[in-house]
Amino acid sequence: MEVMKRYVSPVNPAVFPHLATVLLIIGTFFTAWFFIFVVSRKNSKESTLIKELLISLCASIFLGFGIVFLLLTVGIYV
Amino acid sequence: MPKSGERATLAKPAPNVLKLPYRFDILLKYVSKFELKMGTNFVIYLALGALLCLSKVQAEIVNLNVERSLDLTSQLVRATTKISTEDTAGKPISEYVFFVDEPSLAYISVKDNADKNVQIRKNELAKGEESYTLTFPKAAAKQTFVVETVSSKNILPHPLEIRQNDKQFVKYIGHLHFYSKYKTNSQKTSAKLSSSNILSHTQVKPFSVASTKITFGPYENVEAFSLEPLVIHYENSSPFVTVNSLERTLEISHWGNIAVKESIQMTHTGAKLKGSFSRYDFQKEARSGQSALKSYKTYLPASASGVYYRDTNGNISTSNMNSGRDFIELELRPRFPLFGGWKTQYTLGYNVPSYEYMFSDGNKYQLKMHLIDHIYDNMAIDEATIKIILPEGSSDIKLSTPYTISRLPNELVHTYLDTTGRPVISFSKSNLVESHISDFTLYYSFSKISLLQEPLLVSGFIYIIFVFTIVFLRLDFSITSHSHKE
Repeated sequence: MEVMKRYVSPVNPAVFPHLATVLLIIGTFFTAWFFIFVVSRKNSKESTLIKELLISLCASIFLGFGIVFLLLTVGIYV
Repeated sequence: MPKSGERATLAKPAPNVLKLPYRFDILLKYVSKFELKMGTNFVIYLALGALLCLSKVQAEIVNLNVERSLDLTSQLVRATTKISTEDTAGKPISEYVFFVDEPSLAYISVKDNADKNVQIRKNELAKGEESYTLTFPKAAAKQTFVVETVSSKNILPHPLEIRQNDKQFVKYIGHLHFYSKYKTNSQKTSAKLSSSNILSHTQVKPFSVASTKITFGPYENVEAFSLEPLVIHYENSSPFVTVNSLERTLEISHWGNIAVKESIQMTHTGAKLKGSFSRYDFQKEARSGQSALKSYKTYLPASASGVYYRDTNGNISTSNMNSGRDFIELELRPRFPLFGGWKTQYTLGYNVPSYEYMFSDGNKYQLKMHLIDHIYDNMAIDEATIKIILPEGSSDIKLSTPYTISRLPNELVHTYLDTTGRPVISFSKSNLVESHISDFTLYYSFSKISLLQEPLLVSGFIYIIFVFTIVFLRLDFSITSHSHKE
């Protein structure tokens, strides 16, 4: 039991703000792409469902991690 | 062999070895035995003599020399008692019973002359008297050891109420002689006071007074359980502040942070303020409110950051923070000076990085942290509750504490991004002093994958919104059919 190492966060707390910024920018980019794509869809008959789902998945993953790091940055240690 | 009648007499006396009737019974038993066997008077006398010798030599512990020093400068009574003890029969002493003569004892520690800790076992209360059995690491005919005790609420204000400009006088009531189960050959007591202004004290010769120090004794040959009172009435203007309740919450985040929050409720338990409080006098006169608590220092760990000091109204701006090399000094000034009988409550919080207090090995984690921390010098805490909030999904929780605590049932708490709730380990302890600042260790298991739960929860939530949008855009809510068909 005495050989335990000091526990450090898997992500250095110093990079939390940068990580939050970058992830949120990428997430916002995907979100924007998703909405532009959906709105500019000409024909509803076209099968664009898979593409929409994939773009939104990317957007939600980046936004999700971005929001968590944003919370950590502001001091809400989840 | 003895007949049934003899057995009855044997069974009758109390099992106390030192009682005389028992000895006579043994004597009789042996006498009859020898009479039967040999019938010689000589042998009887021999046996009788030997037994008498034995009874006289029978183990008796005597305190050879006892030196007590009482520190009465603050609200706490710190007693250091150096005891040299000996067994009159020369038998090695392995156990010693130490009686505590002060009510509300907070802390006790015993060290032998090699500065090693002596094992202490608390005995059951008998007639309301608290006693401890000390077990020495090495049994010897002569033992010398030092007992340190700290007790609160044994120095009481006298008079009970004073005006704003009055000095605070207090009375210490204790025992002049070392309260012991054993006879004491020689003893001396010295009391250190906070000021040389002594109104009265017990006058049992020999004693001497030298400014802030009173020495009583040496007193020779004091019988066991001597209850001679010791009263010292003197000036003590240090603020008698008691923390009524301390709630310390440690919230652990595996993202590398431990959030500490202390909710404190304190009362000035010194002489109560009589009459009205004049802010003008308080600001103008130096001797006004000498025993009032104006400000105090709290020491935080050196790595503390994001410190806040607030109460129900919001931030209390009258605080100063100085970073030292080994600690952070926080000078706190309550919203109002604390006079006798007045209360205040506040919350103090800060963050510390996890690498200072957390250790890991695979999925096993260990948290090593102060059970309580410094609040102010010479602090006295009535009741402390410690809550440790672990991350969601922690299991196999085991707690080890430096002293006995009363464990409270585990709870679950729900904060940001929680689903099933975080396990909370809570325990409480009453009557704490500075000597109680030491580390507890909490062992638990937590899988690293669980750390991803929170971001994935947020991602999932956002994805649901997206999917909802996709579905919503494919539905046609128009009432009329479109006029412009493509």
